[in-house]
Amino acid sequence: MKIEVAYILISIFLFLSGLFGVIIRKNLITLLVSTELMLNGVNLGLVSMDKMVGGVEGQVFALFMLTVAAAEVAVGLGLVVAIFRLRGYEGSSEITQLRD
Amino acid sequence: MEWLIFGFLSLWLLVSVFGTLFLKNPVHVILAFLSVILAIAGIFLHLGAELLAGLQLIIYAVAIIVFYVLVITTIPWEKVKKFEGIYKREALMAVPFLLISFLPIAYMVLKGKFAVSQKVITEGNIQSVGKALFTNYLFPFEVASVILLTAMIGAILLGRKEE
Repeated sequence: MKIEVAYILISIFLFLSGLFGVIIRKNLITLLVSTELMLNGVNLGLVSMDKMVGGVEGQVFALFMLTVAAAEVAVGLGLVVAIFRLRGYEGSSEITQLRD
Repeated sequence: MEWLIFGFLSLWLLVSVFGTLFLKNPVHVILAFLSVILAIAGIFLHLGAELLAGLQLIIYAVAIIVFYVLVITTIPWEKVKKFEGIYKREALMAVPFLLISFLPIAYMVLKGKFAVSQKVITEGNIQSVGKALFTNYLFPFEVASVILLTAMIGAILLGRKEE
């Protein structure tokens, strides 16, 4: 077994554990951290695939994914702050309506 | 030696991933996520992607973590503390589902054939990534800046207090 294959397995585990965190977490901030875990898993898969094939395109895509992660965390945390300002909408199970 | 480094880094990664998933306090969760990021930067260095390792440290470990901590300090702490921990029933439901989806993918990765390496990169990693970024991928690179600008405007609009 080559070492890149092992890293691809690790990246799949990382993505699925991020999905697990999105399913089970109660707090909104920790839920966003779990989505960051998923993004990191995809990055790891791209880079290890890149090592295996011998190109640089995967690393370029991973760089774009870093940009998307920064944008996502800005908008997502802005939404979290706006949700926490409302009364009675603090947990991920309480947000059942998109508007008042 | 290579497998020794792999074992160390992946063990570190798994321990901090479990910390991120199961710790109660949100600040502890963010510290565990910082540990995840450092482990992934080490893995990138091991895989020969030096540029991404540096960017991972700069963007994730500095910008995003600091942003999370800042948001936690702005929100009242009682509201953050009110919902901590995990949903137990949903966790019990999710484990077999994710295990079933992990096993076929792992089987396909282990048994499948990958494309073999055709070209040999002679120049350094940062050089080749920069060349690819500014020749073939110039337009997506410019679009990425527009995405960041849009996200910035959206964050300002969402985080504004309504009068």
